[in-house]
Amino acid sequence: MTLDTLKENEKGIIESISDESLAIQLLAMGFILGEEVKVERIAPLNDPMIITSGDNYISIRKKDAKQIKINKT
Amino acid sequence: MSDISDTNIVLVGNPNTGKSTLFNLLTGLNQKVGNFPGVTVDKKTGYFKINDTKYNVIDLPGAYSLNPNSEDEKITRNYISDTTNNDLIVFVADVTNLKRNLLLCSQIIDEGKQVILGLNMMDLLYKNKQEINLEKLAASLGCPVIPINARLGKGINKLKESITNYQVNPTPFLTESNNNTIDDTMLRFKKIDTILNDCVTNKGENKSYLLTKKIDNILTHKIYGYLIFLILLFIIFQAIFSWSSYPMDLIESGFIWLSDFVATNLPEGVLNDLLVNGVIAGLGGIVIFVPQIAILFAFITILEDTGYMARVSFLMDRILRIFGLNGKSIIPLLSSTACAVPAIMSARTIGNPKERLITIMVAPLMSCSARIPVYTILIALIVSEDSTISIFNLQGLLVLSLYLLGFVTALLSALLMKWLIKAKQQSAFTLEMPIYRAPRWKNVGIEIVSKVKIFLFDAGKIIIAISILLWVLSSYGPGDTFEEIDKKYVQNEQQLDKDELSSKIASEKLEASYAGIIGKTIEPTIKPLGYDWKIGISLVTSFAAREVFVGTMATLYSVGDEDNTKSIRQKMMEAKNADGGKLYTTATTLSLLIFYVFAMQCMATLAIVYRETKSIKWPIIQIIYMGALAYIGSFVIYTIFS
Repeated sequence: MTLDTLKENEKGIIESISDESLAIQLLAMGFILGEEVKVERIAPLNDPMIITSGDNYISIRKKDAKQIKINKT
Repeated sequence: MSDISDTNIVLVGNPNTGKSTLFNLLTGLNQKVGNFPGVTVDKKTGYFKINDTKYNVIDLPGAYSLNPNSEDEKITRNYISDTTNNDLIVFVADVTNLKRNLLLCSQIIDEGKQVILGLNMMDLLYKNKQEINLEKLAASLGCPVIPINARLGKGINKLKESITNYQVNPTPFLTESNNNTIDDTMLRFKKIDTILNDCVTNKGENKSYLLTKKIDNILTHKIYGYLIFLILLFIIFQAIFSWSSYPMDLIESGFIWLSDFVATNLPEGVLNDLLVNGVIAGLGGIVIFVPQIAILFAFITILEDTGYMARVSFLMDRILRIFGLNGKSIIPLLSSTACAVPAIMSARTIGNPKERLITIMVAPLMSCSARIPVYTILIALIVSEDSTISIFNLQGLLVLSLYLLGFVTALLSALLMKWLIKAKQQSAFTLEMPIYRAPRWKNVGIEIVSKVKIFLFDAGKIIIAISILLWVLSSYGPGDTFEEIDKKYVQNEQQLDKDELSSKIASEKLEASYAGIIGKTIEPTIKPLGYDWKIGISLVTSFAAREVFVGTMATLYSVGDEDNTKSIRQKMMEAKNADGGKLYTTATTLSLLIFYVFAMQCMATLAIVYRETKSIKWPIIQIIYMGALAYIGSFVIYTIFS
């Protein structure tokens, strides 16, 4: 499943990121393959969402979150 | 001391790590903002001195890695990869998030650069009950590690000491090279994990985000989030419109005094007239906006500094994206209701180049404060002050609908441009939510000064030039027409009182001037909109700035005192068109109002659009599309109402 389908406060392990440039970007922002990601908050109009992994806290649009394959935990 | 002995210090780090604070701390006011060649990213440089050696400091844009994702990051990458310089890198790291910060640091070490690692925000580390072994960290990275607190100015002397005594031969971080960026990054993180496990003891938990998440529960709440944002906007606009009116009045009277002083103390003649009506009038028109720009940027810097702007962006992104804009576009759009110039400057915070460009292109459609005097005088011609629709004042309703018309048109134009403008790169919208911190007031001050400087000098040059050109156009006519007007009135001097005489001469001269000739020349073009040549002159003169309309009207209808709007109104009401009918009918007046809502009549804005987009193409497109909107809109309205 992909990250955009998670609800607020749900978590998953990042498996892969299909878009390479997005993968490089997210990796550098601390969203590392094999680590846990949590959906902290979803904006009132259902997009974008705030996600956290470790001490990293970012906002991401759903169309980009769709590129992130996760394993729900 | 010579230039050769100067050492370059380059500050690098992730965004939101306090890099700019350290820069301000090191250089104080010895700094200037320039541009990196070919791009719109600011290049901040400054210097400090120890003994007799001068150290130049360059503040590179924040980046997460050497694999660039934005214009900002590209600059940092190019600078670091440039092997021709031997600059010393001070890497500023947020010590509470070392793992991510060390990624870029390790990449820079592997570029063979000399690096000093400055660990910022040490105070937060202690709050989290974490400890860090600095010697071990320095040994594993092969570079000096200096703990600092940029906010409080702690550790700066140690940092400077380390800069002056730098003697390290860089050793590579990764011994095995990997061509695949993702694999390479994962390898680096693996090694960083090992190092951090060895150097950091974690007795508590990271509390930095706990408070931030609690605040976010309110500030990004589905209802309160928007409510708080609306209240903040209200306060900002209150400040821009009402607080700034005191300094603006002061500046206005200052310039009136100055022009009076020059007018009476310099010998009469061309130079006097040029100084008073060209240069001083032009200068006054620029300086008057400084209070609004200062206040606006004070608020914007505070909102950015505290971390709130990222939340606004989060709240507004979905709505504005429909129109090809970005969550951050809300600030430039709303700022435009004060003045488009600072608004367009504030669009820099938008990372996505296409969304930033669209924001810049549509922002001037928002009704700015320079349109207010035009709206006021025109509306008074067709609606009396006390007419109402049920409980609403009709004049107020009309002003409100003009504002709404501008706003809706801005959104629709943005939508159109979303389809027309090709994006150079498809960049993902990822935005770090920094932890909330108190604003750094010194930073706010430095930011205000630098933004006002840009406005005064960059836009100012062009406005002055255009003001002088307009003065020439309206002060000179072909051949000896002006002398003949003077002669004609000398003969009638006894019959008229002095004020009336001079205003009659002024109005007749304007008609005979080049500006008047231009007005008559364009008359056939603007006739379908219901305008005559006099309105034509106003359209030409208010190309410099919209508020010039009122002054031009005052001169045209021979009213000596410009502030006396009531008599301008009466004169305008009595004005006749070529057939002897009323000139300012409902149709003509509404058509003129629509024209001022849409048309791009502001040299300052065009100048700043040119400066911000680094291309003459975009201001030209702006003149054309807004001009077309104005012409077609006015034509339609005039046809419907006449």
